[in-house]
Amino acid sequence: MAPEQGPPGVRIRGLTVVYRTAAGELPAVSGVDLDLAPGTITGVVGESGSGKSTLALSLLNAVQPPGRIAAGSVEIDGLGDVVALGGEGLRRARGRHVGYVFQAAQNSLNPLKTVGKQVLDLGRSHGVENPRGLLADARDLLGRMGLDGARVLDSYQHELSGGMRQRVGIMLALVLNARLVVLDEPTTALDMITQATILRIVREVHAERGLTTLVITHDLGVVAEVADRLAVMYGGRVAEQGPTREVLAGPRHPYTRGLLGAVPRLVGDIGEAHALPGRPPTLADIPADGCVFRGRCPLRMDVCETGRPPVVVSGSRSAACHALRDDDGHDDGDGPVVAAATGEEQA
Amino acid sequence: MAVLLRRFAGHVARGFVMILVVTTISFLIIRSVPGDPLAARYQKLVEQGMAPDAAQRAVEALYGFTPKGSLWEQYVDYMGGLAHLDLGQSLSVPGAGVSTVLFSAAKWTVIPVLAGTLLSFLAGVVMGVYAAIRRTGVLGDLLAVSGSLLHGVPQYVLALLLGAIFTTLVPILPAGGTADIMIDPGFTAGYIGSLVQHATLPVVTYALAGYGGWILAMKSSVVTVLGDDFILAAELRGMKRSIVFRYVARNAILPLFTILALSLGLLFGGAIFIERIFNYPGLGLMLIDSVNNRDYSLMGGAFLLITAAVVVANIAADLLYTVIDPRVRSGGEAA
Repeated sequence: MAPEQGPPGVRIRGLTVVYRTAAGELPAVSGVDLDLAPGTITGVVGESGSGKSTLALSLLNAVQPPGRIAAGSVEIDGLGDVVALGGEGLRRARGRHVGYVFQAAQNSLNPLKTVGKQVLDLGRSHGVENPRGLLADARDLLGRMGLDGARVLDSYQHELSGGMRQRVGIMLALVLNARLVVLDEPTTALDMITQATILRIVREVHAERGLTTLVITHDLGVVAEVADRLAVMYGGRVAEQGPTREVLAGPRHPYTRGLLGAVPRLVGDIGEAHALPGRPPTLADIPADGCVFRGRCPLRMDVCETGRPPVVVSGSRSAACHALRDDDGHDDGDGPVVAAATGEEQA
Repeated sequence: MAVLLRRFAGHVARGFVMILVVTTISFLIIRSVPGDPLAARYQKLVEQGMAPDAAQRAVEALYGFTPKGSLWEQYVDYMGGLAHLDLGQSLSVPGAGVSTVLFSAAKWTVIPVLAGTLLSFLAGVVMGVYAAIRRTGVLGDLLAVSGSLLHGVPQYVLALLLGAIFTTLVPILPAGGTADIMIDPGFTAGYIGSLVQHATLPVVTYALAGYGGWILAMKSSVVTVLGDDFILAAELRGMKRSIVFRYVARNAILPLFTILALSLGLLFGGAIFIERIFNYPGLGLMLIDSVNNRDYSLMGGAFLLITAAVVVANIAADLLYTVIDPRVRSGGEAA
């Protein structure tokens, strides 16, 4: 069943998504560059309102009105630029090429139909010629995730627990053999044991089926658990990205450091966790110029008021901060390279 | 299946108690209304010079019975009759049983109101979906405003307006009655055509009066469902538009069935003004007549019929939900 080509890569370039509000069009995501390497799991971390869910929806060109993709491209191997897709072509790409898994707490199933019937609806929508085969695939996938597939296919949403629903969501994203999977807050609102199970399943299924996976979460623990690479978002921009281990071990951007410092530990003094002062910006009060983080930043300088922070690349890591440019001579051998700030400010 | 049966049995028991209570209350209210038609008749005969005994016998012969004894004895008598499905004799229509009078009136109410309700339900649901999908456009606004207007205008104003327009300004429809009295009743094209012609205005009035409520209810229901996560999820899974539309429609129409069932339950009582205006001899007119004539037994029978209809409609609505909504179905099983 599975196509023989490898997992797709994704290149997001200069992606800007704006929402129409009473105060004009405000950017929720502005000038984001992000690569998903084929076969990797990338984690995107951010607080509420950081634009991470909007970014996830952009991968399916599914930003909901009053939002729209104002600029940029999302190139997916085998599909092209999804920002340019529309109509039937876009509909067929959804589900078939890109699987999307909703937040567990969300009710992503039609409450009036059994899971099996909805699998068949999915098959009909995508012209699957062998519905029995599709049901068998769905049953196998559910079985692979530790559920009684036949029983779950016969169940309604209200008969399933949160963890079971989430596994059904993963099954629906994969049953058409999509090789690129986006998981939006896959473990939010699940208990700890179920969270661990879901993350294990994500990891295993990712490896077994040869997927490219994007995990959106506010939970650094989730990213540490599953992601090969990590991107930290703040105020609609990528603050820092790099291999998960390296970023977590040596965060460069002051926001990443603050985020890590705010995580309470199971052992040790609870007082060691320091919440970041201030609040994340909302759509209405994102600064138009300069650094979006400056209001909460301990390293704030004059230049942060006016200039958009340059992306400082070193090796496989990058961070967008004025303070890093001054702080020359990092531990990496290559030394930081200052790239031009990407994405123009919205007028 | 067992769940359905247990549910059904519970409903029937509760409905039975409900009917019993309402019957008792309406019995007490009716009997405490001043004025007694039998006493009035008896008085009249005596005044006309008839001997008291003869007058008593004449009244008995005329109405077929005499209410006698204390209120309690009358009550026991009445309930005993009900147990045998005997609603007693009508006082204003001499010699006719209450059930006969009720059923001959019921057909002139049930059929037109049913037709009007179903018509308005269908039109309102379809237009409501449209109004919800086009809610940001001019047409959606127009539909919603028309719904609010029609919903706000009282039934009798609509009836008077329609009557004025179609019987006086553009006299294309008959003003009242059930059929042309010059045509012999029978299963003939002429008679049936006349029936339909006479029923048109009442049915259209019922339909227009109900339409506004349906379109508004359906619109808000569809808008709610469109905002539900599973609709976005279905779209992100690349479901066909037609399938997503069915998801929306089926989920949105569910809450409307409650209103439909309840409005069908009120079929028997809600048509007083319109029947009065179009002189349509249905239950509404009959109820007014029975009140004017102090026709206790007919009033009691009418109230019983209305109560029973509402109770039955409620039971039907609930059973319908166990069939169409899986969440209700298993609701009875869950511990």
